[in-house]
Amino acid sequence: MTFQTHDARILEVKELTPREKLFTLRFVDPEINRNFKYKPGQFVIVDIRGFGEFPISLCSTPTREGYFQLCVRRVGRMTKYMQELKEGDIVGIRGPYGNGFPMEKMEGSTLILVAGGLGMAPLRSVLWYALDTGKYENIYLFYGTKAYEDILFREEVIHLLKHGEDMKCHVKLAYEVESPSCIYLEKGYSPRVCKGVVTDLFRGENFDVENTYALICGPPVMYKFVIKELLDRKLSPGRIYMTLERRMRCGVGKCGHCIVGTSTSIKYVCKDGPVFTYWDALSTRGLI
Amino acid sequence: MRYVKLSQENFEEFFNSLKRWGKLYAPVKKGNIYSFQHVENSSEIAFDYTRTMLPLKKFFVKPRDEMLKLKGGKWEESNGAEPIILFGVHSCDIHGLEILDKVYLAEPVDPYYKRRRENSIIIGISCMPDEYCFCKSLGTDFAMHGFDLFLHELPDGWLVRVGSVKGHEIAWENEELFENVTEEDFHHFREFEEKRANSVKRSLNKEGLADILDLAFDSPVWKKYERICLGCGNCNMVCPTCRCYEVCDLWVNAYEAVRVRRYDSCFMETHGLVAGGHNFRATRLDRFRHRYYCKNYFDPESGFNCVGCGRCDEFCPAKIEHVKVLDEVREGLQ
Ligand SMILES: Cc1cc2nc3c(=O)[nH]c(=O)nc-3n(C[C@H](O)[C@H](O)[C@H](O)COP(=O)(O)OP(=O)(O)OC[C@H]3O[C@@H](n4cnc5c(N)ncnc54)[C@H](O)[C@@H]3O)c2cc1C
Ligand code: SF4
Ligand code: SF4
Ligand code: FES
Repeated sequence: MTFQTHDARILEVKELTPREKLFTLRFVDPEINRNFKYKPGQFVIVDIRGFGEFPISLCSTPTREGYFQLCVRRVGRMTKYMQELKEGDIVGIRGPYGNGFPMEKMEGSTLILVAGGLGMAPLRSVLWYALDTGKYENIYLFYGTKAYEDILFREEVIHLLKHGEDMKCHVKLAYEVESPSCIYLEKGYSPRVCKGVVTDLFRGENFDVENTYALICGPPVMYKFVIKELLDRKLSPGRIYMTLERRMRCGVGKCGHCIVGTSTSIKYVCKDGPVFTYWDALSTRGLI
Repeated sequence: MRYVKLSQENFEEFFNSLKRWGKLYAPVKKGNIYSFQHVENSSEIAFDYTRTMLPLKKFFVKPRDEMLKLKGGKWEESNGAEPIILFGVHSCDIHGLEILDKVYLAEPVDPYYKRRRENSIIIGISCMPDEYCFCKSLGTDFAMHGFDLFLHELPDGWLVRVGSVKGHEIAWENEELFENVTEEDFHHFREFEEKRANSVKRSLNKEGLADILDLAFDSPVWKKYERICLGCGNCNMVCPTCRCYEVCDLWVNAYEAVRVRRYDSCFMETHGLVAGGHNFRATRLDRFRHRYYCKNYFDPESGFNCVGCGRCDEFCPAKIEHVKVLDEVREGLQ
């Protein structure tokens, strides 16, 4: 049924930062688990029964089967309940929803992933998918974070900072709040690690615009600035993908919350998105 | 379409026979407003009503609607749908319901809506417009489908259009109550329709409306209305095509909970609020404008999201007039 969720067991809970936890889950019914296929950029609706539902991006990659992962930031009631759950607990899951990134279309190209804060969660799915399949020319990750303590998937990011080049994965990190750990990283990996905002990471970078796609996810203010950097380098609006957030209740185009646009173009972020191109943004006001 | 005639003498018997098909609801006068209510007797019905305050959506997407029941840690589907007959529905409301159908019956199908829709019979009735109606300009003043039977007033009874298989079944079972339609009846029918068409006073200029509104994003007219509008959301509640809903879980006792949805309104500040306190429609200006954009979005398949029923005007405490706002925005552009 449309709004029925399926039991999923929490296999592991990992604290990523004081605000974010990573949940590894598996459907209790092996059949459902086998049939659960998703694309990077899609999301699920998590159901804490008797308390409510909320949308969360899949941050694991479909190339690794048998489990899936959600990175949840504590911001309010539902996410607080979620963070109190322990290994072995059950939640309901429905989905996957949304369109996801066009991974197949982008094969053979260079990917520039631009993440701000929690935007790292859906892009991690793309990152691991690209690394696992090896079907992409080069992978750049431009990651803007507040402070060292806020770096999501810190070990993974630092590992790729150190060893990514061998996998044609180039990581760049911008932080805003200085700390000994940041200065240590900056010393080791300058100029790939610097103080500043995510757009500072574009400095000096040029790419083959014919063979590059940019994928963006971050707080609402970030999009305009990042898109400007990309357009300055002549990347076509059709090669700029962004994943957006809106208030969502149903996830399937019924509840009306995620509607954006005007009288000439209306889009549902939940089913027409959450991944849109910059062309979409140009024709649908209010998208970014 | 099949046409039959129901004479006034036979109306009562026809009406009572409908009860066999389900629970009957019809427009009833309640104080200053009309409302679809359960009726037993045709004498309770306000045949000459203009519009009910709440449209038909209240039967299919209820103001407070139980979706799932939590028992022993498992969700169970809530409630079946009882068969109902909605008698005396105006053409604009039939169009409104078809717009809701497009949303709720699209994949994935909303199971609650679908079940109720399948268990309902719609019997339309002709009407005379009042000063708020602008259905004619939207082409919703006449229904070609979306009903089972449609009753058109004649001097001595009703001309009945049969619009569905269920409608045929009802007509079949009541065969002895119907007669053939005569030339004279057709003449009266045409006369009534002409009179009706000529009494629609208000009209909406649709010409290029979608683009004009889009271009007028920064129009001072929105700003003017931002100050007048109370942000109460009444216009959303009474609109036959507004359908935003919120969902929440409520505990019945320590072991049982229910998941309910209830009407939401894009005039509420929380409608576009997301984590981090960011609001995608933070001001009343944003919200007021959004409603007009949503209602006047033109879908090539189903037209505008407004059927010109005039409810938002009649029930707006600030006396804001839908067509007037749109006309002013259009003029502001010149
Ligand atoms: C497609 C999509 C993907 C998302 N992915 C992630 C993710 O990977 N990790 C993550 O931590 N968060 C993600 N979110 C945000 C997450 O859904 C909200 O943080 C969560 O719903 C807040 O619920 P709450 O009950 O804890 O907060 P509340 O107590 O309800 O409110 C806290 C804040 O969250 C906002 N909010 C409430 N409900 C929603 C909702 N349904 N959608 C958006 N905002 C809401 C409120 O307006 C308020 O500002 C995603 C949202 C969307 C739409
Ligand atoms: S916008 Fe107003 S006139 Fe149009 S359908 Fe809704 S309530 Fe009726
Ligand atoms: S009913 Fe009138 S006052 Fe209330 S929100 Fe709608 S336009 Fe504003
Ligand atoms: S989340 Fe309900 S319509 Fe998009």
